[in-house]
Amino acid sequence: MIEAVGVSLVYPEGTAALQNINLTIKPGELVYITGPSGSGKTSFLKLLMGIEYPTDGILKVLGQPVAKGQASGIRKLRRSIGPVFQEFRLIKGRTAIENVMLGMRFLDVPFRSIKEEAANALEKVGLSQKSRSMVEHLSWGECQRVAIARAVARKPALIIADEPTGNLDKDNAMKMLELLNLFRDGKTTVIITTHATHLIEGEKNAVHIRMEKGNMSLERLG
Amino acid sequence: MKNIICNLGYFLREVITIIRINPMSNVFSLLSTALIFFILAAVISGWWISSGVVEAVKSEAEVSVYFSEGLEAADTKRLTDLIRDIEGVREARLVSEEEAYLRMEQILGKEAKVLEYLAVNPFSPFIEVKIQIEDISSILGEFELLPNIEHIRDNREILDRISSIAGVLRVMGLLVVTAVGISTMVIISHIIRMGIYDNREQINTLRLMGASEAFIGFPFILEGLLLTLGGGIIASLLSVYTLRFVYAQMAGPLTFIPLPSGELLISQLVMLIMILSAALGISGSIFGLSSAKNV
Repeated sequence: MIEAVGVSLVYPEGTAALQNINLTIKPGELVYITGPSGSGKTSFLKLLMGIEYPTDGILKVLGQPVAKGQASGIRKLRRSIGPVFQEFRLIKGRTAIENVMLGMRFLDVPFRSIKEEAANALEKVGLSQKSRSMVEHLSWGECQRVAIARAVARKPALIIADEPTGNLDKDNAMKMLELLNLFRDGKTTVIITTHATHLIEGEKNAVHIRMEKGNMSLERLG
Repeated sequence: MKNIICNLGYFLREVITIIRINPMSNVFSLLSTALIFFILAAVISGWWISSGVVEAVKSEAEVSVYFSEGLEAADTKRLTDLIRDIEGVREARLVSEEEAYLRMEQILGKEAKVLEYLAVNPFSPFIEVKIQIEDISSILGEFELLPNIEHIRDNREILDRISSIAGVLRVMGLLVVTAVGISTMVIISHIIRMGIYDNREQINTLRLMGASEAFIGFPFILEGLLLTLGGGIIASLLSVYTLRFVYAQMAGPLTFIPLPSGELLISQLVMLIMILSAALGISGSIFGLSSAKNV
């Protein structure tokens, strides 16, 4: 599913964001990536999505090498990923359901079932009654749930959520993690980055990646 | 392609949204392209009309050959036959002095009474020669070699002048078509670039989710196409109205000008403008898209 061998990322201005990362993540795993700001969490997610390329080492995501000259393969890879962006990146001027549908329009989803799948995804995140609301009229939390619905409606092999608990209190943060955990199954891997290490205390059957100054340590919980 | 067709409704809604984000720019672009296409239509119709007139005049081109007075009928017939054999001569026939008189009566109409004051028929017989206009120089050269010809009346100066006007209009037409092409492409590519800039967040999000460049760019191509087609329709309506008005004005006082069929001209002009507007809309949009690829 994800294989990194000696992966490093150095930005053009010389900042070493990631150093000699080695890891293997299997299909269906729940992965928490924790660490302070600037530890390299977002840089690692950027590599997984093919937004940045490793400056050293080999990285394969869902079998697709992430490297320069792989534009077409990376586009296909992105279609297999359900991203929940930190700032959501919902399209303004469109309703919640239109945003969810937009994420599926260029996939191999039968055209007639796009609306139904989008409605199902919104129902799973508890937003059925707001499906016709413009996203700019939704609260922060509701926007986050639309972003999750957009990600899961694509039936991705990999869900990536960047700091989904960032602006939430402890109870809501726990609910958010539980919600994301719902979409993990035997085939779908869920990767969540968070500052809040305390939220995953006691978590079982998950992978915990700690990041510190571009270095990574991996622990399988439970 | 299937994906594009299936999402046509979505793309059209996207176009409306893109236009709604920047309505005034789009309205001005529509009006600018309409004005440009109208100028194009005016020049092209002028070009086509003048070419039609020149062709009609050319097909009627004739010279009058006056021969020595008192020439015997047999010699006149021989001269007519010799003229008929010259290359480039389509027809040659003798016009008697009586026929020449009758023709003048017809030309003068009500004023023909003036001829009654003349004691004798003042008109001379002549040989009417219909020619291929391109061969006029060689034909006139051949006439010089024939006996008994006193003088020749040709309309060469008028024909040359009409030909040169048609030539100028042809060059102008080509220049205007080029200028229209470039200006329309600049306007459309600029509006597409603005649209892409206004929607850059959405475009980047779609890229991050794996949408192809074709899927992302199609609404912008559609926007450019709709703008130029809209401009083309407005220009066509204005051109049709203007041409009908001009034809109506010319029909009365200028009946002797052999104008080409108005309806045929209008239908060909509308078709040309619509094809040009579609082609320029698509190419302008693609140009705008490619120049804003890294937004």
